Amino acid sequence: MDELLEILNDINPDVDYEKEDKLIDGKVYDSFSIITLISNISDTFDIELGPEHLIPENFNSAAAMWKMIQSILNEE
Amino acid sequence: MSILSVSFLLFVLGLCVLYFALPKRFQWWVLLAFSLAFYALGGLLNLPWLLLTAFSTWGAARYIQSRADAEKTWLKEHKAETTKEERSAYKARGKAARRRVMVLCLLLNVAVLCAFKYIHFLLAQANALAGIFGGAVKDSIRWVVPLGISFYTFQTVGYLCDVYWGKARAEQNPMKLLLFTSFFPQITQGPISAWNDLAPELFSPHSLDYDHFSLGAQRMIWGFFKKMVVANLLAGYVQKVFVGYHSYAGLAAFLGALCYAAQIYADFSGYMDIMCGLCQILGIRLTENFDRPYFSKSIAEYWRRWHMSLGTWFKNYVYYPIAMAKWNQKLGKSARKRLGKAFGNYLPATVALVATWLATGLWHGASWSYIAWGGINGLFIIFSMWMEGPYAKWKQTLRINENSWLWRAFQVGRTFLLVTFIKVLPEVGTLGQGLGLWKRIFTALSLPRSLGELLPFVDNYRNLCAVLFGICLMLAVSLLQRRGSVREQLRRRLPYGVRMAIFVLLFFLIIYFGVPASGGLGGFLYAEF
Repeated sequence: MDELLEILNDINPDVDYEKEDKLIDGKVYDSFSIITLISNISDTFDIELGPEHLIPENFNSAAAMWKMIQSILNEE
Repeated sequence: MSILSVSFLLFVLGLCVLYFALPKRFQWWVLLAFSLAFYALGGLLNLPWLLLTAFSTWGAARYIQSRADAEKTWLKEHKAETTKEERSAYKARGKAARRRVMVLCLLLNVAVLCAFKYIHFLLAQANALAGIFGGAVKDSIRWVVPLGISFYTFQTVGYLCDVYWGKARAEQNPMKLLLFTSFFPQITQGPISAWNDLAPELFSPHSLDYDHFSLGAQRMIWGFFKKMVVANLLAGYVQKVFVGYHSYAGLAAFLGALCYAAQIYADFSGYMDIMCGLCQILGIRLTENFDRPYFSKSIAEYWRRWHMSLGTWFKNYVYYPIAMAKWNQKLGKSARKRLGKAFGNYLPATVALVATWLATGLWHGASWSYIAWGGINGLFIIFSMWMEGPYAKWKQTLRINENSWLWRAFQVGRTFLLVTFIKVLPEVGTLGQGLGLWKRIFTALSLPRSLGELLPFVDNYRNLCAVLFGICLMLAVSLLQRRGSVREQLRRRLPYGVRMAIFVLLFFLIIYFGVPASGGLGGFLYAEF
């Protein structure tokens, strides 16, 4: 989780990732930040993310992203 | 069938009567029958192409869904007796089979779209190329482009991708997918709806509701006013400017460009108001396409607020798949290592944006001027993205208060002007003519000495007053929309009689100014895309 928080803080340090649960729905992250986020997550956790993973529920909070990463790692 | 005709109003009346008179389970059948009738009235020979797209997409989506369901069942049943590697290999085989079907179906439908839309452009390029070697390619093709092909093809492409990605479930009933593809309020100019948004609206039962009827009818009248009075009166001015800008002063040509910005907004959003209003009467919520776009503070924001459903479509089905593609992610990773983190982070998005904006340009029209139009929009967006860091520093150095109204007004004004200049480029004619209009605006600097020289394209000042009144009304409505639906606000604040008087006035303005102006200019600009 620390690695994920590091990525998120690097992209936008002004967000409280412990509490924020509307990163996508609240338009905190735009389409550029999402791609940067995906590139860094794929790189750090060595997983493949595709358009099928791009649903707000997977990216609205740090906890949701962490859950998605764990689920992909378990699948692989 | 022209939307601006009495026959269309009778068509809508017939639809409403049958829609609410028949048992609710038949409502979507009524919509389908009227949608097919509307399409057939536009040209019966085009119907097979629509049916091909709808049914091929239905078949492909059904295969993908049943294969995915079967894979899930197999994996569940064989989890205990298979290794992780065996399960991964099985999943990979399934995914490859589903992808093959999706790609084949996409290729078929996009090929039909390209054949109709780009054949003349491709032959013209081939002819130009052959000309270098002394040859010639003759273009004797006389195909009629099927009504709404750009819109319904994109909508079905989106549906198929969503089913493939597991974001939507494939519809079992082919006739329901045919309605989704052919739904007449959106077939000629959009919006391009997602299945998950539109299907629940189309297939749920709806009752006749006074509020829906009243608010829907009000929105339809507002839409007819915008289209018939504002857009169609402005169309006459714009045509004159685009044809004769060589002889105008720069200021007059600039005012002509502003007229075009107002015309296309009144035209396209007017259509949306008519169709959203009609759908509201039926109890159907249609995807909105506009969110006060001329109040945007950047080009990127403008494109999130203008023709929103097209922007969302390109974002979901072109931008993200390209930005997230393995090869593009590898490119970003390699750039991060060699050229720095910032460069590597921006590269995949930049590559995807270039492709997205060139495709957006081509979608709007098969010509070099539309490709240039898309390229310029993309360049501004990419440049803003790369310059975000330096901009923030400059603003800090210059102590700019980003929340001050003056700064926001500057941003809105700058974006509106940029958007206007980009908009007119492909509309004048060829790319050279578009650039010629730009040149005229900046080089013919003589000051007009009379109103006639300032507005050489205006021949009737009474019509001009109606246009100016309409533009002021549109501006006032846009400002009020910051606080929500204007019709709701009117209902809360004004007595029934006053509200009725407003719409009766709009109705008479439509009859007095709009009907004569709509004689030869009844078409909608976006229907040509």
